[in-house]
Amino acid sequence: MSIVRRSQQWGTFARMWHVFDATWQDPYQSSQIIAKYLLGRHKPISHPMNRCGDHVVVINSSEIALRGDEWQMRVYFHHDTYHGGASWTKAWELHKKDPTMIMKKAVYRALGNNLTRHQAYARLHVFLDDKIPLEIQQNLSSQIKQLRPVPQRLDQISPEELENFPQIVKLPETYVLT
Amino acid sequence: MVFQTVALMTRARGPDEFWRKRRIFRLSSHFRGRFRNCYSMAIRAVHRSLQFATKGRDAKYDIIRQIWMNRIDSAAMEHGLTYKAVKEGLTRSEIHLNHKSLADLAVWEPRTFKSLVNIAHERVKQDGLRIMGYLKAPARVLSKGK
Repeated sequence: MSIVRRSQQWGTFARMWHVFDATWQDPYQSSQIIAKYLLGRHKPISHPMNRCGDHVVVINSSEIALRGDEWQMRVYFHHDTYHGGASWTKAWELHKKDPTMIMKKAVYRALGNNLTRHQAYARLHVFLDDKIPLEIQQNLSSQIKQLRPVPQRLDQISPEELENFPQIVKLPETYVLT
Repeated sequence: MVFQTVALMTRARGPDEFWRKRRIFRLSSHFRGRFRNCYSMAIRAVHRSLQFATKGRDAKYDIIRQIWMNRIDSAAMEHGLTYKAVKEGLTRSEIHLNHKSLADLAVWEPRTFKSLVNIAHERVKQDGLRIMGYLKAPARVLSKGK
């Protein structure tokens, strides 16, 4: 095999490292996309017997957003095999205990139940904020597009911009904005 | 089973019991435990496995078709279109390539596939379909409208 062909082979099957910013993203919807990258389903060469899955680094997992009342209503079940050992943890409690756990469990479920799950799950790296170890940071070469844009909060807008924003009515001096 | 002649209608037990059983054992050689070597168990397991094989011949093509569709989709996503948009655009442009050909082009001839995606995109855009992706207008595509 010539050097050109060999490097072509390396380039085709090399594992890429993608970063996904979980800020204000639904973990259950984004896990479907992340699972696709972990299993290599985003490549034209993908095949169940072909090991072409990539690494995905999820950052800001503490900033995830759940839909509706899911923080209260979604429940994680655990049983420690003893009598009366069943326990139900609500999503907000689990998130308080470990801010990466909801994202990890969502991806674990999205990977599907077969023998490739274990290896694909090992390629997932979840971090609660944007502080990544340098050896992982050096590998990153691609970013996965977020499902929806992150909205801008009012306290993040500068006071000059707020001052210059066009107003429909001129409020009286005594009017107190809450 | 179809018996075409009277001779075949009789129970053809074969020349020799040993070789008759060898035919079955060859099919059961990869089975587990005594299903491999004990004839009365092996014959049952072989009949069962042949039934599965008959069903699997059809089911195999469903799986292969899924793989083809996934490959076309992932290759199209690299250029900003979905599988659905590419297929619709190509059908409207009367390019009737099947799943196998498109998947092969996606893997082995990515530039050919890209030009097909460009044609599909242009057609989908002309017809004003909402399944269009966020691809920019492709250059050097000759279509009827222009």
